Amino acid sequence: MSDRRAEIERKKAKLQALREEKSRIKREKEMKDVEDATTRTLIGAGGDRKELDDMLSSLGVAPLSDVLSSISSANSLTPDQSQNHTPDVSLQPHSLTNNISHAKKRSPQLTVVPVQTTNIPPKEIVSYTKQTQTTTSSHERDAHATDYYVLTYDDGQGEDEESSLPHIGGFGSKLPPGILPHGLPQVKEVQPAITAVEQEQAKQEVKEVRELSEEEKQMIILSEDFQHFIDRAGRIMERALCESIDIYTDYSGGLGEDGMDEKSHQCVSFNRTFFDERWTKNRVVTALDWCPQYPELLLSAYNNNEEAPNDPDGVVLIWNTKFKKTTPEYIFHCQSSVLSTTFARFHPNLILGGTYSGQIVLWDNRVQKRTPIQRTPLSATAHTHPVYCMNVVGTTNAHNLISISTDGRLCSWSLDMLGQPQETLDLHKVQSKPVAVTCLDFPHSDVNNFVVGSEEGAAYSACRHGAKAGVTDVYEGHQGPITGISVNAVQGGIDFSHMFLTSSIDWTIKLWSLKDTKPIYSFEDNGDYVLDVKWSPTNPALFAAVDGSGRLDLWNLNQDTEVPAASIMVEGCPALNKVSWTPSGTHVTVGDNQGKIWVYDVAESFAHPRHDEWNKFLYTTQELRNNQVDEELEKSNFALSNTPLSSMSSIASTSLR
Amino acid sequence: MANEVEDTLKRIQSHKGVVGIIVVNSEGIPIKTTLDNTTTVQYAGLISSLSDKARSVVRDLDPSNDLTFLRIRSKKHEIMVAPDKEFILIVIQNPTD
Repeated sequence: MSDRRAEIERKKAKLQALREEKSRIKREKEMKDVEDATTRTLIGAGGDRKELDDMLSSLGVAPLSDVLSSISSANSLTPDQSQNHTPDVSLQPHSLTNNISHAKKRSPQLTVVPVQTTNIPPKEIVSYTKQTQTTTSSHERDAHATDYYVLTYDDGQGEDEESSLPHIGGFGSKLPPGILPHGLPQVKEVQPAITAVEQEQAKQEVKEVRELSEEEKQMIILSEDFQHFIDRAGRIMERALCESIDIYTDYSGGLGEDGMDEKSHQCVSFNRTFFDERWTKNRVVTALDWCPQYPELLLSAYNNNEEAPNDPDGVVLIWNTKFKKTTPEYIFHCQSSVLSTTFARFHPNLILGGTYSGQIVLWDNRVQKRTPIQRTPLSATAHTHPVYCMNVVGTTNAHNLISISTDGRLCSWSLDMLGQPQETLDLHKVQSKPVAVTCLDFPHSDVNNFVVGSEEGAAYSACRHGAKAGVTDVYEGHQGPITGISVNAVQGGIDFSHMFLTSSIDWTIKLWSLKDTKPIYSFEDNGDYVLDVKWSPTNPALFAAVDGSGRLDLWNLNQDTEVPAASIMVEGCPALNKVSWTPSGTHVTVGDNQGKIWVYDVAESFAHPRHDEWNKFLYTTQELRNNQVDEELEKSNFALSNTPLSSMSSIASTSLR
Repeated sequence: MANEVEDTLKRIQSHKGVVGIIVVNSEGIPIKTTLDNTTTVQYAGLISSLSDKARSVVRDLDPSNDLTFLRIRSKKHEIMVAPDKEFILIVIQNPTD
């Protein structure tokens, strides 16, 4: 700093010297001109004064500092005379008389006039400013290059006027305002060097070390801003921390591990688990859903934890499958166990939950709140029984939330108004007995027709609107409660949306067609409760099923219908309650009864169907139907062939008698 | 709510390889830390001025842009900085662990 200032000072002095030398030469040179001019003024008073003014203005007024130095020296020598010969002479009538009266003495006075006329220096000043500008801008610490110019121009003017005035003294105050602006641009350009120095001085003064007291810290920690910040920054930091990719991996160094080949041969391979000690331990995973907007987000609902009665019964978490961080992105909870949950499909921020109490609750991830921001009332107009299934159907502009409770009541809600359902519909069996609905599925893009599974073991197809709103068909075949239902939703050449699967506690999975009240096929490979079943979203012939013994099965009907194409035992053999495919169909997630969600990768060859898969599947289902018919025929034949025998024997016995 | 702050910091601290966490305000004064005093003061001062500088670099290159994250990888540590308007979160981790 001080070096720089010294340097500036040195340069200034040098310039001053240069300038003075120049001015001296010019003074001598112009002495004669001025003498001529003064003689002229003697002859013709008014016109000559104007001429003098013109001359002055054409030469420009010197930068104040220059004027100052030259004038002050002049002042000290001949104060009276210098005063008379400043440009404002023309504006002061009384000095005119002076001029005339001292006509003879004018020659020494005239030596002063050239002082102003010498002020051609603008050229030198320009080069000087350039120098200082470059140096200062390179040394500038905080301000930007552009700021610098703006600042100095503004400050320069103010500073220049204030600081230079006292130096000028009597002379400066007499300067007519009309002349000042003319010289201003040059004056300003000199200033930046000074102001920049001053600015930095000011900055240094401001900087002082201050320590916060404990209370102040506590205040900050408790402030909303701080908590927002920690929430945001903490999330980013965790993601960053979990990226364990070592960018310094050196492949030329050692041998890479080869376990990849082995992995690619497997149809299903373990990827990761989602588990949280505090929120999911000892809770049953009751529902899984994927965010339509952000396909990496997994929504999961949990039942109550019997070992932690003080914690809220219902928990809903959002996990991120994209990052390797092991903690949930969002945590929501409510008093009652959450049995079903879904993203509000067209509102990426809203999460819906169906509870054991019958309330539908709504969370918003934009709000810094873990409890629901809205909930439906517990009244006879809505649900009063547990809501095990719900679904958002419709389009962006017209969609509804459909929820069904175990007393068979279906409610459709508008998300803007959860105060009361828009419609209610009671699902009844034949003798007006309510259907105890445990699971629900809508065919792809259908808003009216749907299928439900019930505790009685029967599946029902139903519709919401029309003359025959309510149950339309009954599909009986299971011996125990139905736990899961799934409608084929793969889009492709052939529409299979009439095909649906049901899983049941009777250890079987059954394949149905909406057109037929008898099952097409029954998969009987499991040795425990089959707790959920889901069609793949990409392959029409592929589905996943989970059972109570901890087994995850992938069935590819085009490959084999007797045994699953791939089967995996989840570590520790927990009962698996829910299964879900990622929207891409390349991962399958399984929720167990310990609070863990297991993510498995599905082999490419499995997840992505070949072109002929649709035709093949059509052929397969046809074959299954034929087999079924054959079996029935055989059975009836057997029965037919049985009766004659018995009758024969009876005949024989009678004849024997 | 303050509990959630603690939880978040605890979670980050529990990550494998994390050496320390410091939260400083915009003036470079530490608000929360898991390190000893001298180290904290050193980190707080140096990192906050570095992140100021980094931010001004980003902004000078494109005035509509802003700094969001800063990672410094050194032989011994990795310093991760999440700057914000009012606060800066600094996490020091040992990446080789």
